[in-house]
Amino acid sequence: MSGRLRKNSKKKEEKIHKPSRATRLFVVWRKLKKSELAIVGFCIVLFMSLVALLAPMIMPYRLNDYRISNQPPSMEHILGTDAMGRDMLSLVMYGARISIYVGLGAVLVELAIGLSIGMIAGYFGGIIDEVLMRFTDVIFSLPTLLMLLLAVSMFEVRSIHLMLLIMGVLGWPFLARVVRSEYLSLREATYVEAARSMGASNSRIIVRHILPNILSVIIVLATMDIPWFILYEATLTYLGFGDPLSSSWGYLLQSGYPHMVSSPWIMIAPGLALVITSLGFNLLGDGLRDALDIKVRE
Amino acid sequence: MTMRDYLIRRIIVIIPTFLLITVIIFALIHLAPGDPIDIIFKGPHGGLSPEAKEAMIIEYGLDQPIHIQYFTWLSKLLRGDLGYSYINQQSVWEMMTLRIPWTVELMLTAEIISIIIAIVLGVIAAVKHHSIYDALSSLGALAGYSIPDFWLALIMMLVFALWLRWFPSSGHQTVGIAFATPFDAFGDHLAHLILPAVTLVIMWTAYLFRMVRSAMLDVLTQDFITTARAKGLTELIVVYKHALRNALLPVVTYVGYSIGFLLSGAVVIEKIFNWEGLGQLVVERTMVRDYPALMGLSIVVAIMVLVANLCSDIAYAAVDPRIRYD
Repeated sequence: MSGRLRKNSKKKEEKIHKPSRATRLFVVWRKLKKSELAIVGFCIVLFMSLVALLAPMIMPYRLNDYRISNQPPSMEHILGTDAMGRDMLSLVMYGARISIYVGLGAVLVELAIGLSIGMIAGYFGGIIDEVLMRFTDVIFSLPTLLMLLLAVSMFEVRSIHLMLLIMGVLGWPFLARVVRSEYLSLREATYVEAARSMGASNSRIIVRHILPNILSVIIVLATMDIPWFILYEATLTYLGFGDPLSSSWGYLLQSGYPHMVSSPWIMIAPGLALVITSLGFNLLGDGLRDALDIKVRE
Repeated sequence: MTMRDYLIRRIIVIIPTFLLITVIIFALIHLAPGDPIDIIFKGPHGGLSPEAKEAMIIEYGLDQPIHIQYFTWLSKLLRGDLGYSYINQQSVWEMMTLRIPWTVELMLTAEIISIIIAIVLGVIAAVKHHSIYDALSSLGALAGYSIPDFWLALIMMLVFALWLRWFPSSGHQTVGIAFATPFDAFGDHLAHLILPAVTLVIMWTAYLFRMVRSAMLDVLTQDFITTARAKGLTELIVVYKHALRNALLPVVTYVGYSIGFLLSGAVVIEKIFNWEGLGQLVVERTMVRDYPALMGLSIVVAIMVLVANLCSDIAYAAVDPRIRYD
């Protein structure tokens, strides 16, 4: 599209009151606000993100003190202390950093792969689509946790970054399938035809014309996948395949296991944090899906 | 395309899929950094002398080029030979056949119970859409869906096995007791089954409930339901005979496709309750990087998933006359 054409069309758009991006965001927010549960989810996600962001500043205790190991919850340590005399509340706060980082990081990796494959398969169709989708089906049919265990154990380094990379690399097939079906139907849309007739390149149509129209689907799917990645990280770490240097919630649970009977609070606090975080993301995802009126089709 | 053509096509597609899976699993294990022999014999076993290492490499064919290794492995695999464990030289196939019945028992029990509960609760929630019951059960399902399975298992174990001492905490039989009758032995086994099964039931019911509810909500708004009501049929018949039958279609497919997910849940639950099934074997062997065992396990699990998917596709095509085979 040439600059002038674009300017003209923009003027026209204003005349017919096409909502601006901010307005559309506001409409979504208003719909989201109608569902109390979605708001609860939103608040939980916001709260956890803030805790994760500010953990080093708001952690009540920094050091461990062996004289106070395995203490039940009290006024000084409201979630108790662990076997090394560390304050559980501080540990759980710090753990939020890792969980949120893993969830967001893995989703970004997933988006990078799933979007590219879905876009290309859906837009170009034909043999490219066939090949890419067969490949997607194969990855999709592999049992995720088993493959994650296998992949993580293959590396001698245990690092949180590597883990989120592996989770993203194995987690994209569903997203790719949904994106593909959206592109498959939208590539026939009139506005795509119009763009093509004006000489827009394929990559421009894919990224500038179709992508903005399926953004809501992508946002919903990404929100719903974050808790999965967080739970997978916790599971892998609990099973002993985690980063030994990161005190994630899974790691706290693993270290609390031997003291399960004598000091159950070591295991309960990080577990509850996991439940609340993933519930928050799930509530928000459900709410967004309803607010944006999305039917995930394949 | 007729149903028969569809079936043939669907089965033919499985072959390249299966080959691709073998390539992925092989690549995952063989292209990972580090020498398997070095990795296995490091740590508790101490280092291996260069001669002994050389002998191991030749014994396991690791000196061959990678594609030769792959084809050797594949041809053995196709003849049903899954190889021998690096760790204790046990046949991988034998190792697995001992474990499969336990996993199948646990999964089938949990699956059947959770399907029944999910259908009953899901139908009620959909029929009473927007009621307080619907809201509460949906929220409950969402909560169940958000709980990490291993944590739920640990809490169940803590409360019911360690605090209340109602059920045993691990294994599938009490060791060192002579049972008077086979019934006693069976009862003891059932007591061991309860905690892992209930944990899985909670997880899967939460998952299936959402599915049943949304499928039912979809069906209940369709015209034929209005027609059925207009004919004067009782609400019970409308819901259970007309609506549920149609709502079950997506649920059936879903159950078939979720077997991979179910297996993942079973891996962790089996590990925690020390239930000697495939899942526990997976975790055990991953810890020690027993490559032949892991390859065998992943292949067998992948085959299970492929067959389950095929079955659910066929069931779907057979049951739904609207489906177009293309």
